[in-house]
Formats: sequence, C-alpha cells, structure tokens
Amino acid sequence: MADGDERWLRYERTAGVHDEMLDAEGATREPWRPLVESLEPLGPAELARRWEGARRLIRENGVTYNVYGDPRGTDRPWELDPLPLVLGPDEWARVRGALAQRARLLDAILADVYGEQKLLREGHLPPELVFAHPGYLRACHGAPARLARLTLYAADLARAPNGDWWVLGDRTQAPSGAGYALENRLVSSRTLPEAFRESRVERLAGFFQRLQHSLRALAPRHVANPRVVLLTPGPYNETYFEHAYLARYLGFTLVEGGDLTVRDRAVFLKTLGGLEPIDVILRRVDDGFCDPLSLRSDSSLGIAGLVHAVRAGNVAVANALGSGLAESPALLAFLPGLCRALLGEELALPSVATWWCGHEEALGYVQAHLDELVLKPAFPYAGLEPVFGAHLSAAERAALLAQIRARPHAFVAQEQVALSTAPVFAPEGVRARPLVLRAYAAACEDHDWEVMPGGLTRVAVAPDSLVVSMQRGGGSKDTWVCSAGTPSAVTLLRPAGAPVELTRGGAELPSRVADNLFWLGRYLERCEGAARLARAIIARISGEGADGDASLPALIDALARSGAIEEGASHEGRAFLDRVFANESPRSVRATLAAVQQLAFVLRDQISLDTWRVLSELQQDASGPSAASWSLSAARDALNRMIVRLSAWSGLTMESMTRTLGWRFADMGRRIERATWVATLLDACLVETGDDEPARLEALLEVAESGITYRRRYRGELQVVAVLDLLLSDETNPRSVGFQLAALEEHLAQVRGVGAAAERTQPERVALAALARVRLADVAELCRVDAGKRLRLAELLARTTGELPALSDALTRSYLSHAGEARRIERF
Amino acid sequence: MRYRVTHETAYAYEELVSICHNEVRLEPRETERQTRFATLLHVEPPPAETHAERDYFGNPFHFFTVEEPHHRMVLVSESEIELAPAPEPGTTPAWDALLEELAGDTSRVGLAAREMSFASPLVPVAAEFARYAAADFAPGRPILPAVLDLTHRIHADFAYRPGATSVATPVREVLESRVGVCQDFAHVGIACLRALGLPARYVSGYLHTRPAPGTPRLVGADASHAWLSVWCGAEAGWLDLDPTNDLRVSDGHVTLAWGRDYADVSPIKGVFLGGGEHTVEVAVEVVAQR
Repeated sequence: MADGDERWLRYERTAGVHDEMLDAEGATREPWRPLVESLEPLGPAELARRWEGARRLIRENGVTYNVYGDPRGTDRPWELDPLPLVLGPDEWARVRGALAQRARLLDAILADVYGEQKLLREGHLPPELVFAHPGYLRACHGAPARLARLTLYAADLARAPNGDWWVLGDRTQAPSGAGYALENRLVSSRTLPEAFRESRVERLAGFFQRLQHSLRALAPRHVANPRVVLLTPGPYNETYFEHAYLARYLGFTLVEGGDLTVRDRAVFLKTLGGLEPIDVILRRVDDGFCDPLSLRSDSSLGIAGLVHAVRAGNVAVANALGSGLAESPALLAFLPGLCRALLGEELALPSVATWWCGHEEALGYVQAHLDELVLKPAFPYAGLEPVFGAHLSAAERAALLAQIRARPHAFVAQEQVALSTAPVFAPEGVRARPLVLRAYAAACEDHDWEVMPGGLTRVAVAPDSLVVSMQRGGGSKDTWVCSAGTPSAVTLLRPAGAPVELTRGGAELPSRVADNLFWLGRYLERCEGAARLARAIIARISGEGADGDASLPALIDALARSGAIEEGASHEGRAFLDRVFANESPRSVRATLAAVQQLAFVLRDQISLDTWRVLSELQQDASGPSAASWSLSAARDALNRMIVRLSAWSGLTMESMTRTLGWRFADMGRRIERATWVATLLDACLVETGDDEPARLEALLEVAESGITYRRRYRGELQVVAVLDLLLSDETNPRSVGFQLAALEEHLAQVRGVGAAAERTQPERVALAALARVRLADVAELCRVDAGKRLRLAELLARTTGELPALSDALTRSYLSHAGEARRIERF
Repeated sequence: MRYRVTHETAYAYEELVSICHNEVRLEPRETERQTRFATLLHVEPPPAETHAERDYFGNPFHFFTVEEPHHRMVLVSESEIELAPAPEPGTTPAWDALLEELAGDTSRVGLAAREMSFASPLVPVAAEFARYAAADFAPGRPILPAVLDLTHRIHADFAYRPGATSVATPVREVLESRVGVCQDFAHVGIACLRALGLPARYVSGYLHTRPAPGTPRLVGADASHAWLSVWCGAEAGWLDLDPTNDLRVSDGHVTLAWGRDYADVSPIKGVFLGGGEHTVEVAVEVVAQR
C-alpha cells in the first residue's frame, strides 16, 4: 500500500469553498476514508481500466441523455464520474429529516392553493405568486388528491462554504433523475465493489419500493390490483431513457398520451385486446401539457378529458396536475413563514437567499445589490435564462431594471452560491469540481415522506462554474450515504444478466408498441435479406463463388428489386460497395439500420438488455466511418458479422421472448418481409431459362440458406422443380414462402382469439388466400417453360408479392392504427 | 326582458371522426341581473355520456364525448332567460385610489378581483397597452368615465372586420393593425386595463338579434358576442362595457360565461381523432319573448 506521501488521489482545493472529501487541513473526511483506502492501492491505472469497463456498460445499456438541438443526434451517452460523493450517516440524518419536512410543507401549500386558499386570505402568500403563475391550473382547483399531491419530490441541494446545505430549487412537477441515480448505482457498485462494501452504502431499492407502493396506493379503484402507467412525452424527450428504465424497474407500462383514452370520465389504455382501465398515471409530462381539452390546447402529448377523469375521482395522477406551481423560485422567499403557518415548525433546510421583487423593500435591495445577485423569472417561463448581475453591461443593466420595475412580481433575485467541490477523476488527474445534489422524497401512506438515501450528484465541467446542468454538458456521480449499521438489502433489481421478458402481458400490449415491434421485425429481416444477397454478390465479384459469376446479374437484380441498391448501376467491386453501404435511399441497409436503432430506442422498456446490445452492435457494424474505404474482404467480414448478429436477434426472439402478442407482431413483421424477399429471389433466379441456370440455382440455394437441406435430399443434382418445391411449397423449410404464409395465418388466428371474434378478420382472409394458392400450386406445372420463360411461376410470385403489402396494410388497419393525431376544434 | 336564445353549431368533416371530446359553455350563467329558466343541450350523434358542472369561475359547462364515428356533429343549445336592466351607477372611485385599496385586499371578493389584473394566456401585460390607455386615465379620475372613454376610443380607432383575425391572432397584433372582431376589442380593452393594474375580465354571450322596430341591430348579433367587465370597487362591483358597440351593457346582452380571456370561456372546445378538413356553420338567435 502506498504511504500518505505518495497518494495519487489528491488534488488542489478551490479556495473559499467547502470541499466534500478534504477538510480545511487537507485531511480526508471520515466518511470518505474507506473509499480512499480502497482506491489508493488500486492506483489510477487500474481505476481507469475498470472505468473503461463501466463506460462500456453504460454504452451497452444504452444509458443516454438527449440534448436538445445537439447536432450529433438525440442520444448522447450518460456521463458518470467513477468517484462517488460520500456522505456520513449523521449528516444525512439531518438532511433526511429536513427534506421530509420540506416535502410535507410544499404538499400542504399545494393543498391550500388548490383548495381553500387560506394562505392568500391570511396574507401568508402574495396572490401574485398564485394568480400570475402560468402553472396555476384553474381547471384543477378543487380536484381530489389521495395521499399527497407530491408523490415524488426532489430538491437541488448545494453546500455553502460553512458546510451547511442549502436548497437551490424544488422540483414538484415531474422530478427527473431518480432513474439515473439508480443506473449510476448499478455501475458504481460494480466498478468499486470493495469500496462499496467497506463504506457500508445504504441501498436505494427500499426507496423505490416505497415509491412503487405509494403509487399503487393512489389508485381510487381496483385497489387490490391497480394498474399504473408511466406517461412519457416520447423518445425525443431528454430523459426518455430514464422513463423506460423506471417503467421497467417499477413494473409499470410505459405509455405515450396517444396510448390512453378517456371514456365516461375514466382513463383506458388502448391495447390489442381492447381498452384496459388505468388507475394511476405517473407522469413525466409537464402538467399543462397533460390534457389538450382542459389545459394547454396546443399540446399533442396529453389525453383529452384527463382533467375531468381526475376531477371525477376515477384516476390519480402523480404528481398531481398543477403541482408545478410550487417550483416557483419566488416561493423560496416565503417558505420560512409558510412553514410556521402551516406546520407550526421552523424551516429546517434553508433556501438560497431569495428576494421577490414584488415586495417594495426587496425590490430596493435588488436594485442596490444587482452585482451580487442572479436574476430569474419568478415563474418558470420557457426560454428565460438566469442573468448574473455582475456580467451585465451598463446598458443591459438599465434595460433589466426597467423590465423589473414594469412587472416586479415576475422577478426574483438570488444570492450567488459558492458551490462545494468534490474530486472528479479525469485522464490528466484528479480535479475538484463544483457539485449540486438532487435528493428525492416519496410520499408514504402515513403523511410522511421517505427520503432516498443518496441521489443524483451533478458536477460542473469547469472549476468555477456557477451553473451545474446536464443540458450544459456536466457529468454525474453516484451518491453514497454511509450507514451507521448494516445497510438493509431489499432489492427490486433483477439479478444481473438474467433474461428480461420482451413483453409483460398479452392483450395489454399498447397498440403503438405492437406496431413498433412489427416494424422492428420487418426492418431486421429486410437487413438480413440484403446482407445475405450482398455477401453472395461480393463473393462472386471477388471470384470466390463456387459457381463462377454467371449468377451475378440475377442476384444484383434481386438486391435492386428489394430496394437496397438502385437498379441498373455497375457492379464493379468498388462501385458495388458504395452502392450497398453509402446508399441513403429509404430501403437501403443504412436507412433500414437507422430505423432499427430508432425503434429499439423507442422499445427500450420492451426489449431485453441482450437484445438491445445486439441491436447496438449491428448499427456499429454498418455505420463505421471507414465503410467508404472498405475493401471487398473487409465488407464481407462486416456482412458476416451482421448476419451473425441478426441470427442472435432471431435466437433471442425465439428463446427469450414469451409467446405474447408482442412476439407475434414482431414475428409477423419478419414473416411478411421474408416471404417477399424469397418470392423476389425466386422470381429473379427461376423465371428465366438459359445456360446460366445451374449457376443461378446454386446461388439461390446459398442465399436462401437451403443448400444443405437440398443436398441431403437430392444428392447434388440441381433441378428447378426440386429447388422450387423446397423454397416455395415446403412448409417445413423456415426459408420457404409457404412456411412464412403458414406462420402468418397461425399468428393472425391467435391474435383474433384474444379479441374472441368468431369470424376471420380481413388480414386473416388475405393471408389464408395467399397460403391456399401456394399450397394448391402444382410445382411441376409452375416450372413449365413457355417461350423461354416460366410464366406461371412469375404470375404466382407476382400475386404473392402483391398481396403481402395489402396484408401489412390490413393488419395495420385492424390492430395497429391508433387513429392518428388528436386535433381540436375551438369555436367562437 | 325575457329572451329565448338558440345557438346552433354544425361541424362537417371530410373524413370520419372516430371520437370527439368536448367541453362547451353554452348555458347562460345566472347573474345579479340574469335569471335562467331552462337550457336544453342537444347533440347529434348523441354523446355516450354528458356531465354538467361548474368551472373555476362559476360558469356552467358540459363535458361530453361522442363515441359514435361521424362525419357531422350538430350542437344545439336553447335557453330561456330573463334580464333586468343595469341600474345607473353612482359616482365610481378614482381608478388610482382603487388600485391602492386593492393592493392589500385579501377578502374573497378582493382576491377574485385581483386575480383578473394579471397576464393571462391570451392577454399579456405590456407597456404598449398602458401607453394606449394613458390618455383616458388622468390621476384621480373616476374609473367608469375613464373606461367608457377608453372603450369609445377603441370603437373609433379599430375597424370591425370579420375574418381579419382568428382566435390565434395575438392581441398585440390587433393593437398594431387596428382591425378585428368583438373578442379582439374585448381583449384590447382588458389588456389596457390590466397594463394599468386594474382588474378586467372577459365576458362571452349574445346580443338581441331582433331588436324592436326603430332600434338598430347591433354589430355581432348573428354569432356569439364578447365584451369586457371592469372592477369598479366594492360598491359598484363589476361593470360591463361593449367596445364593439361603444356602449354600457344593459338588458340587450345575454351573458354566457366570464373568465380571464377567451381561452377560459370559449363556447365550444373539442378534441377529435380523424376528420381531415372540416367546416363549421353557426347560427344564433336571440328573440325577445312577450
């Protein structure tokens, strides 16, 4: 073990601020010692090595955070620092009690504002803070609330130079980050297992169990087995990963507004099996956007009629609609008085010093001390950033003051807080960086709040940054709260590596999810078809084909007809690779894989981690920056990898997915696509006759993966009738057209069974007609040659490929159409 | 004066509407001067369910859902009401004295008035409105004559032109362009009053469509109408003024509902699935009963 003088875990403290790890003398604070003692002998190189593994885990798990307007696209990997923030048990006990008090207070304020409004009449709260607040949702006044209005509450905490914690702001609307805290914990406990054990870190699972319990307890009906959903704005939201992650962790269905509908003032989920009643909605949509009828009419994220369902007491929304009101920074100036008035207690956790300009004395102070203050809008209007008084020019200053004087109630000023620092691990060494801790509390049934032992610590990129924000590129840390005794070991987490079910139920599958699974199946199969064809073509171009290159025109024709390349261009080696890999047209490999990635992201809560990994790797294979400079052999290797990964996906769907409707829809997508592909291939290889026919038959068997079966049956003699039988009619061959159609017919019958309709559905009739035609076809007759062509075969194949899109459309109309976007009428 | 009000709205959709949720404010609220005898709401196709409630501002409204797929929806509301003429108000307090009195008022009535003095979804509080209003609001001037002058000026300065604006036209644009319809003028007046800190609310309603021979038919009578109401202190209460017709509201105006602006009280709000392009026909009749 290195002695004290050779410690690598050291850094320069920032003057004038509190440091979390080092005290004023530079000694390690008590709670940090097990961590430091465990890390010192490890050395920076080993930590870096482990950290590389952790980063890979983060990438593979697809932990992302979307940055709006980021040109690199939507999902940016989550930034996590390997060194946790460590807090001791005594200190945490104080924070915990204070946070619970604050949650109770804010909840009581909301209950009053949305109820009797005694606080306004008795003068504890200026009416401006309610009536001028765009987040005061009048439509929700008087709505019932069980348990609490704040089911999940969060506060951003900062530590002052004297070591005391302050609240920078409250999150009462739909606090984000708890899921990231959980994911951070998963990674940090795996990366630093020794330190984690030695530090006796409190577990997070108990908190989430309480939250889960409280959410279920909100249910006004079906109390024994309530249905809870997590409402997300959708995959373009910055924290969509977290929505999917939390939904899966807590066991709730992830839904978008369009998945829900209101009937008779109750909320239902649109599923394949019909409408399923919903009891509780955990929302990650801002309250104003939750109902286009009674709240913001420009919202496309909400559910028309939700407010009426809430008012009728038929559904609970957490946090309650309208709770965003309590996020106003202006409220901070009044909390001490409100705490005395409502709870009869002193406020335990102070807020950052705040002046509400609507009071004359406060306005006077703000005008005199503008240089020391941060100016903010009193109500969270989108697009208004905090202004640092000291950064303003004389002209800007005058303009700001004029604005404030015109509408003083709309502004607050806050003291600039010198944030405490903690060590951050970087390639160039350990550095001190400012931090903000987001802490969470969940309402419990006994009107108390359970505080998460930990939280999401966010660190700034620069040593002197005044603002810490993930949107601005900061990183995060796990937060370790050390236990005085032995930490309890509740877990909601599935053991690492255990297979995760692809869907949770049968008929409850939201139609939108089934639609996405259907297309995922189609796109992946489309990729596989293109990859197999391209691989065979490359082998022939490079002179490795057993049958020479006589089959090339037919194969290229098949690939072009599938849409993966344009028709009629050169197939000289270099040019061919460009046509396959640099192609951006809608059915190209690149575009199809991009669509797969998009769907996989949207289906995060539906697909297993292993499946997700396979799909991410697939994307990397084809989109490497070097693709343009690939040689034929490199391209072949890439295609081989792609085909193996696609097989892994097939294996996972066969072996890890329960046979629910979700699986059926994914498989139907695959079958429709494969039937089309095989029919196209048969058409390209078998309709024409000529000297090159043996080469085409050979190539056809190879591409359709049926060579081995054929040779076993027919000992190498290539005959058109036998090949056609194997690839068209033989329903035991998973590559034949007949197999696909039979599977489709079976799936459709099962799907109908769920709805318990007696008559065959339209898609079923289409599938059955196509299957019957193939079954009834006389293969020898199909192979008859007229004027050098097999015209009967061509006709049958054309009818089949023509019917498959019709089947896909019928399927979409019957099961998957979620009736499009809601629109509104408003009449004067 | 006793009236029968008939308000018919017909929506025709190019494509089938699979479901439509509606919130309508078509039942005249009761006021100090307005008594309602009956309201009949008829919807075709018939809604799966209808719920009648009161909103935050005390306005009656109906929430209903049409679950039957339809190409056409017709809403007819018929009401019978009786209106008493507005009494002549006495002297009203000075507008600036009113402001001071209101500042510390936390009574229920005072708070309800103060609630109407802030920006709302469609009416911003902005300096340009204060500048427009300033000419009529000399210090110490009683509020009613000041507001009457303001509405008179709006009537003179702004051209009534149906179709020039839509429900989406911001009131700032109306102030610039000086054209609009009744709800625009009501919004301009409200914006001016709130810019001075005064409580003002938006009133939705109807005008008498067949006035007695010899009296002119007022502008805006063939559709729903809108005007404004201003707080004139505890004694005089809320007084209604119609900037579109430059008059003080009495027994020729039927009140439907009031709120902070049009967004709080639009007579019909609906969200529907499907439909494609749609057209609307509206017919309003307000007939005096003998």
